Amino acid sequence: MKGELICAVCPVGCHVTAEWNETDLLDVQQAACKLAWPYIRSEIFDPRRVVTSSVPVVGGEIPLVSVKTDSPVPKDRMRDVMQSLAQVTVQAPVNVGDVVVSNILGLGANIRATKRIKKVS
Amino acid sequence: MHTTEVDVAVIGGGPAGLAAVTSAKNAGAERVLLIERDERLGGILNQCIHDGFGTKVLGESITGPEYAQIYIDKLQEAKADFCLNTMVLDLTPEKVLTVCSAEGMRRIKAGAVVLAMGCRERTRGALGIPGPRPAGVYTAGVVQNYMNLRNIMVGRQVVILGSGDIGLIMARRLTLEGAKVECVAEILPYPSGLARNVVQCLEDFGIPLYLSTTVTRIHGTGRVKGVTLAQVGPKWGVKSGSQRFVECDTLMLSVGLIPENELSKKAGVALSPVTGGAIVDDWFQTSVPGIFSCGNVLHVHDVVDYVTLEAEAAGRSAARYAAAGSLPSSPIKVKPGQGVRYVLPYQISGEDAVEFSLRALAPEKDRHVVFRSNGQVIRKMRELMVAPAQMIRVKLRADRFPKEGEITVEVTE
Repeated sequence: MKGELICAVCPVGCHVTAEWNETDLLDVQQAACKLAWPYIRSEIFDPRRVVTSSVPVVGGEIPLVSVKTDSPVPKDRMRDVMQSLAQVTVQAPVNVGDVVVSNILGLGANIRATKRIKKVS
Repeated sequence: MHTTEVDVAVIGGGPAGLAAVTSAKNAGAERVLLIERDERLGGILNQCIHDGFGTKVLGESITGPEYAQIYIDKLQEAKADFCLNTMVLDLTPEKVLTVCSAEGMRRIKAGAVVLAMGCRERTRGALGIPGPRPAGVYTAGVVQNYMNLRNIMVGRQVVILGSGDIGLIMARRLTLEGAKVECVAEILPYPSGLARNVVQCLEDFGIPLYLSTTVTRIHGTGRVKGVTLAQVGPKWGVKSGSQRFVECDTLMLSVGLIPENELSKKAGVALSPVTGGAIVDDWFQTSVPGIFSCGNVLHVHDVVDYVTLEAEAAGRSAARYAAAGSLPSSPIKVKPGQGVRYVLPYQISGEDAVEFSLRALAPEKDRHVVFRSNGQVIRKMRELMVAPAQMIRVKLRADRFPKEGEITVEVTE
């Protein structure tokens, strides 16, 4: 199989031509660097995304703390992750990197805070 | 009025200001002060909760708030002073700032000033879209602020005008938070945002992107009820018969950023009509000696990493100016040639290597970026793809520069 894809590893966004069979990526043309290979392979066989969102924080200086999955999750599970996050609330203080939910939905990724939120009384 | 003195004053506590004040301090400026009008450092990064920041300077992809925290930590490590909730009201060519906070008004006399005020968004008023003025018309950054910082959902059925990066990012965010994004309309024949955002924010969610299309009318009283979309021709004239009504309760605009240069103008800083930012040399010094400019107030960037690099250089220059009272002159002019919208810096000293930033006029495949000096090619590099959305950065060593005269930069076959 052959197709055109956009590499999203970095902001350059190379428009590449890729060739693959049932099991493996065979060729990547027109990529500016080698990083395109693993990305394109994953886009074809197992597309994944980092999900970022925010959850309410109780007793914090601002009402929300931003969060992310600490590794990419399957693209088709993004909405499930969001649904699951809708039930989550955290207590201030929060630090960058704090685990908010461990191993969310058994996908192997933790939800971690990406912002420092001070506690206010 | 009470007056204090500093070596380097930096206006704006976003990514540019954070990097500038820290590098000024680390370069030896003793009394530095970062002035931020918000109640938090970090600027727009605080609401940019998506990832993709840091790939150039940190070698990893992190979110906006994480990126901000790294540079806030660096600032604190360097023991650079900052003040929050403080607005700069005036700046003179003599580098005297008038600032206002809850404590009242005061003056700050600075040895050097770094302008790092960033941008604000272009609004409906600037576009002049016809129709009534219902609630439900927002700019993308406002939607981002409401959703990511204040926990306020702005609407359920959204049309987006303009394909700027923040608009694309918010298309995904709105979708993941349960809204239906009907489409993104872009007046240009190509997307304004980065390719990766078109893929990850629109294609991933099946959101249609209509190119050469704009909104010609907003409908609704009280609240937006819909918009009229129309296709445009080569000179942006509306194609007759192409109009159609799209129902929605929200229109989100992502139609460009305007550098916030009001203070720069007060200080007499010369601005470029192309970028809306200051005209600077390779020290990032403006037309007013001792006043420097960097980040989005200088020219709109597509990635924050380059803002950081630029601001660090501007901060070093400001520290050097504050100590020495002057910088070497910049006699070599740099001019955009064929296929180039603008190139920075506008003039260079030739003393040191220079990292040039430029933008192409139109998206094209397989081009060359060519630097010429007095007719001779001094650097030529191949680009697989150029696009106005994507800033091109080229570093030239000092031994490539002429002693004087002119350098032109072209994007050609």
